[in-house]
Amino acid sequence: MSSTDVKSRLESFNCYYFDKDVTQKFISFLMKKGDVIAPHKTGELSYKYEIVSDATEVVLNYSRTILPLKKAFMPPRETLINFNIKNNQYTKPQISTEPKIFFGIHSYEMQSIKRLDYSFITGLPESNYLTRRENCKFIGVAYKPDEWHFAGSVGIDINETDGFCLYFYPAKNGYIVFEITDEGKNLLDEFGEGSEVTDEYLKLNEDKFQAKIKFHHNRIPEIFTHVYNSKVWEDVAQKCVGCGTCNLLCSTCYCYDVHDEIELDVENGQRDRFWDGCMLNKFAEVAGGENFRDNLGSRNRHRLYRKFKYITNQSDKLHCVGCGRCSRYCPANISLVEIVNDLIDDYTKQQQKEIL
Amino acid sequence: MSKPKIAFFDFTSCEGCQLNKLNLENDLLDLLELVDIVEFREAMDDKADEYDIAFIEGSISTPTCITRIHDIRRRTKILVALGACAVQGGINAIKNQHSADWVKETVYGEDKYLFPSIPVQPISAVVKVDYEVRGCPMSTPEFLHVLKSLILNRKPEIFDHAVCVECKLKENECVLDKGMFCLGPITRAGCDAICPTFGQYCTGCRGVVSNINKNGAVEMLKQHGFSTKEALNRMKMFCTLELE
Repeated sequence: MSSTDVKSRLESFNCYYFDKDVTQKFISFLMKKGDVIAPHKTGELSYKYEIVSDATEVVLNYSRTILPLKKAFMPPRETLINFNIKNNQYTKPQISTEPKIFFGIHSYEMQSIKRLDYSFITGLPESNYLTRRENCKFIGVAYKPDEWHFAGSVGIDINETDGFCLYFYPAKNGYIVFEITDEGKNLLDEFGEGSEVTDEYLKLNEDKFQAKIKFHHNRIPEIFTHVYNSKVWEDVAQKCVGCGTCNLLCSTCYCYDVHDEIELDVENGQRDRFWDGCMLNKFAEVAGGENFRDNLGSRNRHRLYRKFKYITNQSDKLHCVGCGRCSRYCPANISLVEIVNDLIDDYTKQQQKEIL
Repeated sequence: MSKPKIAFFDFTSCEGCQLNKLNLENDLLDLLELVDIVEFREAMDDKADEYDIAFIEGSISTPTCITRIHDIRRRTKILVALGACAVQGGINAIKNQHSADWVKETVYGEDKYLFPSIPVQPISAVVKVDYEVRGCPMSTPEFLHVLKSLILNRKPEIFDHAVCVECKLKENECVLDKGMFCLGPITRAGCDAICPTFGQYCTGCRGVVSNINKNGAVEMLKQHGFSTKEALNRMKMFCTLELE
């Protein structure tokens, strides 16, 4: 994915104009085809993905949701099996493969699903995740980067359309809808509304990211080969309280823990899994109580190496998509971009000491 | 196999944890199928000599407490501390922050010599505690988990991560973001983030996570507009001893 301006990225696609009413009608049209999952307002200033029950409640000009889209494919808590220890039997809950349409998705979020696909297909394929991934359509929407988004620095443009069947771009009193794939074209043909896009509406502006990593994203994995023992990790550990918010809200983190709970009949029970994170105390603890990463410095280091180095070496892709959740929701205001930039400074200093 | 004999004892506390067990109305009958309750002052008069599991509520705050807890420890196979007072000293330990004489004077006035009182300690400071159920009051799902695990001869799984984790799993809007105080980032989970979920903030009743970054926590709260003094005072409400 190279950086391209918005015009050359979108202008090759056929497009229509939807005003606000037509947009809502379109959501209602989609709702007849399956569950539509879209951003909704929650609380004072937050958003979350929810199944749409009323098209007027969908919010398209949102910054980011609290939980990433992975929650639709790997729920925060799910029951893996129900068991009976007396007769040694178990059953697996059915996972629905009914069609799902994800509406109003940002490009970094779509790319996070591609990263998760890699993580769950590689090695032993994870059947619960892959079953939930069947029959899904994604419809994107452009976003205005706030002070925490930094997707551009990890090579994901605002208007990256890879993965979407349709793409909504804000225009005067509505949206320009781009047909990205044949699947998207079929949806628009069947819907049959939307007007021709006139020059008055087609104004594509390039939005700029406020948060930036100093080096090109292609250089980041190499930087990480030089900063394992950097002092930056100790500095982060001074501020970090280890709450795990950055892990839990990360759109590409996929670690989980499994827990058996038995009922009071001491016979029937269920095996649940729930999200875990490498920032948490017991994550690297083994039998006997030994903990391989018993301090916050080494845990933060591990977290970032998982995003920029370890999986990148195997998949050729950074496993950070620049959504900014880890930084936006960190109660201690630790910024991932700042950590990476501090590491870059540290690396540059190291290099200046090297003499030919 | 005969049913395990279990007993409940209260030390310096409000007895709220014991009451919380009696609130398990839907589960009490099933529970009695599994165990014989042989001593439970809040609910019955009987006494017993030996126990398989003794559940202890409350903190150590008088010389008599020490004698009693040694006696119980000798008679029980497994000892479980229940609730904030028993596990970490809890609210009671606030008194340790003041001079013993001032505390006695304030509470008992001129009768202060009639009531011997020592600095508050958690149960684990005096005898070996095998398992802990945290919270003020103790969390009943966690209590049932420990009990069922012990009956099945399994090691109970107790969390050592922050309330933030459970709050995020529920996709709650962060209460710090709403200008409220919160100790969720440093408090042990296991309560299912019940307070933030219902519009309150976390007061830290379950004690701090085991690798607490105390300075980081104060700095964190300062960034959200709380003074160092307020941050420390609120952190100490349930955790005076854990923060020493």
